[in-house]
Amino acid sequence: MTGWIRLAAPAAIVSAIVPPAYAVQYLSIAQAQKEAFPSATSFAQVDVRSWKAQSGGTVLGLFVVDHVVGKHLYIDYSVALDPGGRIKRVDILQYRESYGGEVREASWLAQFVGKSGASALKVDQDIRNISGATLSSHHVTEGVKRVLAAYGSRAR
Amino acid sequence: MAAAPDRLRRARPLLGTFVEITVAHAAPDLMEAAVEAAFDAIARVHQRMSFHDPLSDVSRLNNHAAAGAVTVDPWTFQVLEAAVELHRRSAGAFDVGVAPVLQELGLLPGPSALPHSPSATTMDGQIELLPGCRVRFRDQHVAIDLGGIAKGFAVDRALEVLRERGLPQGLVNAGGDLAVFGPEPESVFIRHPLDPHRLIGHVQVANEALATSGNCIDLFGSGRVTRRAIIDPRTQEPPRAIAGVSVRAPSCLMADALTKVVMIQGEDSVALLDRYDAHAFVVSISGEIRVTSGWLDSKTLAA
Repeated sequence: MTGWIRLAAPAAIVSAIVPPAYAVQYLSIAQAQKEAFPSATSFAQVDVRSWKAQSGGTVLGLFVVDHVVGKHLYIDYSVALDPGGRIKRVDILQYRESYGGEVREASWLAQFVGKSGASALKVDQDIRNISGATLSSHHVTEGVKRVLAAYGSRAR
Repeated sequence: MAAAPDRLRRARPLLGTFVEITVAHAAPDLMEAAVEAAFDAIARVHQRMSFHDPLSDVSRLNNHAAAGAVTVDPWTFQVLEAAVELHRRSAGAFDVGVAPVLQELGLLPGPSALPHSPSATTMDGQIELLPGCRVRFRDQHVAIDLGGIAKGFAVDRALEVLRERGLPQGLVNAGGDLAVFGPEPESVFIRHPLDPHRLIGHVQVANEALATSGNCIDLFGSGRVTRRAIIDPRTQEPPRAIAGVSVRAPSCLMADALTKVVMIQGEDSVALLDRYDAHAFVVSISGEIRVTSGWLDSKTLAA
């Protein structure tokens, strides 16, 4: 029969290699270009953040890199546009939650809690997955709209 | 998972959040194609079940299903079947018909003062599921929002694609609602529901799903909790005692939906959790943690 158990006050028992931030590098720009336009033979840089994907003499579309930055969040993303200026795909290149000096390492680490009496939790890798209140992707969606407005007519 | 060459990890903005797919131990071409197909499955759920998209099944139902039956995608139908079942089994605590209340509170876009009567804001007997994936609403004031269940369903569909493609290991994480299959458990940290800068628990997830509900947070601004998005359909107010809930369950649809029931019913939800072979981790407003006994039987490490 299932019942509820109240857990004891947290005890910090996590090794110190856990970084005071959550960061993931998903794709380099070159990788993202290749995945968005697998048949492209070249990417000709148009401006500081956009490339024209080409195969021989044919333009396959435009690849644009952009980022959104907030107080605690930094996201690099790419938008691939087809020659008609329509969105082919949007990829997150890099995601970083950063708290800088706001979170002192010791107090941050103290948030990790382990089952009392059991062997200490071994976190021998970065934090890979977080479950929690839903993060809004609204800012990226707005960013994609801006990219579309700026580059939509230049993908040909 | 860091830089191992036989691992692939990709993320895209979908379902209003960031959806991350991780696969491992297969040929790069196979992994890339499978991840692409899995994102396609998520995009299909996004298109059909978005409250915001006027062409989605949900919008078509909200606009037309009271006037006559509307045919929907079999996936939308499946989610509605689950929603109706959960509504019945949770004594009304799970309710996809709270959209008008969420609109009034500014948590969903729409008219701020809908001419609804309170009784029409729940889905009690209001949704008719007909053969041929047709759906009819019995009351013109009914408006549904599948936000409390579609994300979990999308995760399940994406994971199914990865399995069907023959991958041995995979993880799909839609903004904290996630599911894992394969021999290697995934290490998942649970974010503190009242302070997103902090993590409050850690759990190993293997061949099951984990979902968390609580507040919305905005890391672009202060990083602080912004607002409550869960409404008790009976009081039409946010639950007061519980700050956040994580649920482990065999499917992510069920984990996702059950977090809402536990938010509202608290400890009374234990029979329903048992029925669906699910386990809960509950953080109260005062920061106290309670778990069902089954939660500790796993490889969970918390408090």
